[in-house]
Amino acid sequence: MARVVFSTWRGESIDNRGKPESEWVESQYKLPEQYEADRNAKAFIGWDGFAIFDEEVDVVRLGTEYAATYQKYSEACGRCAPGRWGGRILYDLMDKIARGEGEVSDLEHLKEVSRTMMETSKCEIGRTVPKPLLDMMEHYEESFMELIEEKRPSKDYHLENIDYIAKVTAPCMDACPTHVDIPAYIEGVRDLRYDDSLRATRQTMPLAHTCGRVCPHPCEDECRRANLDEPISIMELKRLGADYETDHRLEWLHPYQPAKEKIDKKVAIVGAGPAGLTAAYYLGLEGIQCDVYEELPVLGGEVAVGVPEYRMPIDKYNKDIELAKSVGTNFIMNTKVDADMLRRFDKEYDATLLAFGTRLSKKVRAKNEREDMPGYWGAISFLDQVNLWEKYRIGSPVDLTGKTVVCVGGGFTSMDVVRCSIRANAEKVIMLYRRDEKTIIRNTTYEEYHEAVEEGVEFIFHSAVEEIIEDENGRLSKLKVNRFELVPDPDGGRPQLVKIEGADFFIECDYLIPAVSQAADLSLLPEEWELELTSWNTLKTNGRDYMTSRKGLFAAGDCEYGPMTIVNAVGQAKRAASVISRYVRTGEITLTDEEIMEDHLRKLRVYDKSEKVRGWLPGLPRQVSEKLSVEERRDNNREVNLGFTQEEAIAEAERCMRCYYIAMTAV
Amino acid sequence: MINITIDGHKIEAKKGETILQAARRNGHYIPTMCYLTKVKPIASCRLCVVEVEGVDGFILSCQAPVVEGMEVRTDSKELFGHRQNIMKLYDVNHPLECGVCDKSGACDLQNKTLEFGVDAQEFSAKEHKRDLRKWEFIGYDESLCILCEKCVHVCNEVIGDDAIEIHFGGYGSKIQPKGSEELECTNCGECIAVCPVGAMISTDFQYKANAWELERVPASCAHCSAGCALYYERRHTGALDGGSEPKIFRVTNEFEFNTLCGAGRFGYDFENRVENRDEEAFKRVVEAFKNAKTIRFTSRITNEEALILQSLKERFGYKLVNEEALNFSKFLENYASMTGKTLYNGSLESLADSDGVIVVGSRILTDNPAVRYHVTMASKRHNARVVYMHPMEDLQMKNVVTQFVKYEVGTEEGVLAMLARAMLKDKVDIKKIESFLEELDEGYLSAESNVGEEELEEIKNSLKRCKRISLVIGEDCINHPRSANIAKLAALFERFGNLNVLPVAPKTNSLGVSLICDLDEEAEGETIGYNAPGDCVLSSIGGGDLDMPALNQQEGTFTTLDKRVVPTNAALPYGGYTLLDIANAIGLHGRYTIDFTSKLPEEKGFKHVDFDDIPYYFSNREGEVRGYELKRLKHSVDSTLDEVEELPEFNGPVLYRCDPVLQFGPLTAKTSQLGKERPTLFGSSQFAIAAKLKEGMQLKIRVGGVEMERVFTIDPDLKGTIALNPTYDLGLSEDLLSSLYRFSQSKIEVVGQTNE
Repeated sequence: MARVVFSTWRGESIDNRGKPESEWVESQYKLPEQYEADRNAKAFIGWDGFAIFDEEVDVVRLGTEYAATYQKYSEACGRCAPGRWGGRILYDLMDKIARGEGEVSDLEHLKEVSRTMMETSKCEIGRTVPKPLLDMMEHYEESFMELIEEKRPSKDYHLENIDYIAKVTAPCMDACPTHVDIPAYIEGVRDLRYDDSLRATRQTMPLAHTCGRVCPHPCEDECRRANLDEPISIMELKRLGADYETDHRLEWLHPYQPAKEKIDKKVAIVGAGPAGLTAAYYLGLEGIQCDVYEELPVLGGEVAVGVPEYRMPIDKYNKDIELAKSVGTNFIMNTKVDADMLRRFDKEYDATLLAFGTRLSKKVRAKNEREDMPGYWGAISFLDQVNLWEKYRIGSPVDLTGKTVVCVGGGFTSMDVVRCSIRANAEKVIMLYRRDEKTIIRNTTYEEYHEAVEEGVEFIFHSAVEEIIEDENGRLSKLKVNRFELVPDPDGGRPQLVKIEGADFFIECDYLIPAVSQAADLSLLPEEWELELTSWNTLKTNGRDYMTSRKGLFAAGDCEYGPMTIVNAVGQAKRAASVISRYVRTGEITLTDEEIMEDHLRKLRVYDKSEKVRGWLPGLPRQVSEKLSVEERRDNNREVNLGFTQEEAIAEAERCMRCYYIAMTAV
Repeated sequence: MINITIDGHKIEAKKGETILQAARRNGHYIPTMCYLTKVKPIASCRLCVVEVEGVDGFILSCQAPVVEGMEVRTDSKELFGHRQNIMKLYDVNHPLECGVCDKSGACDLQNKTLEFGVDAQEFSAKEHKRDLRKWEFIGYDESLCILCEKCVHVCNEVIGDDAIEIHFGGYGSKIQPKGSEELECTNCGECIAVCPVGAMISTDFQYKANAWELERVPASCAHCSAGCALYYERRHTGALDGGSEPKIFRVTNEFEFNTLCGAGRFGYDFENRVENRDEEAFKRVVEAFKNAKTIRFTSRITNEEALILQSLKERFGYKLVNEEALNFSKFLENYASMTGKTLYNGSLESLADSDGVIVVGSRILTDNPAVRYHVTMASKRHNARVVYMHPMEDLQMKNVVTQFVKYEVGTEEGVLAMLARAMLKDKVDIKKIESFLEELDEGYLSAESNVGEEELEEIKNSLKRCKRISLVIGEDCINHPRSANIAKLAALFERFGNLNVLPVAPKTNSLGVSLICDLDEEAEGETIGYNAPGDCVLSSIGGGDLDMPALNQQEGTFTTLDKRVVPTNAALPYGGYTLLDIANAIGLHGRYTIDFTSKLPEEKGFKHVDFDDIPYYFSNREGEVRGYELKRLKHSVDSTLDEVEELPEFNGPVLYRCDPVLQFGPLTAKTSQLGKERPTLFGSSQFAIAAKLKEGMQLKIRVGGVEMERVFTIDPDLKGTIALNPTYDLGLSEDLLSSLYRFSQSKIEVVGQTNE
């Protein structure tokens, strides 16, 4: 909801001009009427219309600036004739009118050029930039005509105290926690320019191998192509650039030239997982020395010791890790950071970033649940042992020959547990899940679930462990399981899970592996710092600059958010690194305009599920990459997903509609 | 087949084809400005939008695939309006300098501007200063550039140089060298060829002639065994050049369908201008023929000339000596004895279509540009795994090579044997080959060649899922002392591995000569040299006892490495005597050289077809249609393999016979644009230390009895103790080296130091 003087956003038609404030109609969209805490916005203009917050706004100047912005930002596009030249003509004609030299025929030319741009441009940016300008010419026609007839410049034309702050986005970019320039990396694939593709990815996402393989791809849920047929296979296209660099043994393709010399600032990072690596990389690119402290004997955090080899081959992940090293990062391994060390960091470093994840397995909350009971095996320590052995030959292998394993979960970690159990030769592997099949697919991915089923995992839905039963030697031997059913709420609310009386059953098993969730181990925090925590016991920040309640101490990734995705950790760490890079220089916590706009647009939502897509041939199937057959993969760690063939990759990339948009706020 | 309708006409389209491809194949016109047949759709011009029944908005036909039952409309009032608007935008501020623009008359922008009736500029944009760049062969005028991106795509997707890119910036977008200030590329000039306007130009051709004045002579390139199609574009010289002689002004190619390297494009004026017949010289030469026992010649001749020489042998008993072609014919003979068929199964087309490529024994970037481009296409189109095996890494190939395997000089036989064992062991079902592979002393071969078991394992693994693998066999193998056994080993890959095997014929017509001529091992008595050293020399590069026409002054055919017989035509007149004149003088009776085209030996796979009946055209339906393919014939089988001989050792500095890019011998060396290059020995700093050389030293080198002068230059891209030694500047003596194994340990004498 936003208070507006006028709005055509998303087809709404609100005109409060000249009305008393009591009769004003509000916009139903979360338009950025307040740019920052202390700065009100005057107007907002974007791909889908414009909104005026301040009646005094000079609309012609606003439109001119928007057209100018398209010129400035067209390096994001500028790839087609109508967009490239049409955009320029739009700007020149708008400016001509705004500076008082316009003719009536210029309006006609504007409309004509707009029409062709909207129908034929390559990217949505070219197709949508004319839209708000046409809206203006329609609803504020008199403002244009006045300038043309009186041959005078628009009232703010020479004013310099208004900021016009613009941002290029796309539905997929908006949905991605790291806001990867997805259309650009897909275009790199389409153009067979994998170096460009990888550089585009690495602007905000250094783990291209990783997030080209194991990202749950929230972007695909907000892919505009879904409005036409099926979403683009965005995640898998990411891996092509990274594979190209690795296959051809190229030098690192950085998004921009790393700083030649280090500046005299140091940052300590706790944890070498996705968040730690990301922050180290971007700070390193800027010439800020990072020391990364890692408890484990290996680098990479949960992706190294949590995600199994068959989903994320370690030699590929090591490439992402080497990239973070390549900018001069110093890794200190086998070092568990404690409160004393943090106190020391506080003095010795210019900033500290906590990125230690959530490495405590939560309990399933059953009767007689004891972590020390033989047969009770936390998911984190189970996966640690599997992965340290399979990937690094550290420790000993997990051998489940002849054993029955029950995992309680429903998320990615539990999928890893059951599929690793299959590969450890377990006789029977059962997954217990409180909710249904549809939900488990939504929480993980369709592929993940089906591959587990194919490999022989037995899923029991609507069930939960009530009690753990031990044998005479105190070893876990049996589980008492309750069954539930989904009962619709007669008042139309969310259906409730209700226990089915008398449907309890027992499962005999050798191991129970709880994989319901993880918690952060906060024992390293110095008590006297009295750091603010969230209600779910993670470090509290404002979710925008990622500084904790202590100045100079930042937190990103799972230890801030709670157990979440890799891409979420990367996104947070990227932002934190940006804030830190300014903080260590100036001592101030600031966001760039780009970041402020990013947050506004996320609130507003770029993706519009109900929008009708024109100008694209519907019904082109989403490409599906080849997977190893069950026989080929069940008993080994070979990567299951073989990736796209070149033909598939190009066909998929050609489905991308390049839905770039420009939004601009006048402040 | 997919049935669709275009403008009411029912047509059959192929699965996976785009609307535009289907339309073009079936003769329906859709306008484009950025579409280039041989690369992926660029999709920048947007002119090709069409209407599809039942679909809202306009559909980009260059990228949208055909769908069963689809009804397409390529033209309507609205479409015309949008296309006209796009042309208006293209024309905004486009300089009105057609009068002096190279492209005028053959310009897509002119054509489409007229087609869509844009006759006035109704709006304009603020202009800014635009770049005017000039590199050695290539110039770029930003103000004329319409940013269709064809040049960028062809450079990356077909050539593999990836040397230019778009500088993004909306209206300020432009083409610029990628990753460097100045253009660093192999100067193929394809960017010039594909440019639809006058933005990318040949610096040499600029302001020399108008498109409509030039007459195009379809021909085949004379420089290497790819024999690419090209047009010599000729006109009479103007008053400024002081005459009215016909002259070649430039070379162009049908860039939609084929590709040309810089040697073909810029190295065209190698003609031997002879106005009159020198009767005295002719008489002396005829006498010399009567006394001679041997004719020595190179493979840079036409099939017809080869047949004339063969006829002379049959008639008068001359020995025919061409060691390089003899090596190749032995290679082919041994190859055939293993496969049971003459020739080989590989081709450039199958190479480009591969998803796995192995290159052994060639510095492919300079040896044969066409082969290199087809490797690039395999890499780009199919993400092919490219295994490059050679004693020297070539960093310029890095963006297509996925695995470089360095082997020691001279060990090609051992390397191929180990490769055969790694890849074919389980597929061979002939006992004696099985035991040959089994009994290989891998420890020894591996130690001597320096190719490790892990490397072979990696090759095997990376090619495991490949369905179409090509094996390219380079000259290092063909001119190897162990060539016979190497050929048989290479043939195993065709016979048992279903690989496409492509031996790269070392010279323009090595394949034709090796098939047509019954070559002798040794010369005897007086020797006539035809474009080769001899007691009496017939030379098309001038300076011999009698002048001969160069290959751009002759009609005839070449046999390319693609096993195709392709025609070439005379672009320039020649007033002197030809080989046939001499042959006739000593008793052969031929009317025209091209009368021999239809007499090429059928038993070698040639067809009895007249020169004038050999096709040479391009069409949207069929692409390039030029020449005919040789027939593979049955051959007796002999599955015996020689034991791998003890591998030679080359210690200390080694010279590798290797011309720089664009140079192929006396012909390219003679041309005005390519001939300026100074013959340089390129080595690494490691080589410099091993050979005790310093940058800029002047050297005297003797290889195979030929002495040459070189300047030494350190190339930072090179490693190891092998240096690249060119031979293109040696004139007819080059022939004496062309059959030798390319690596040698020759004496290098320092004779001075240049000041640079």
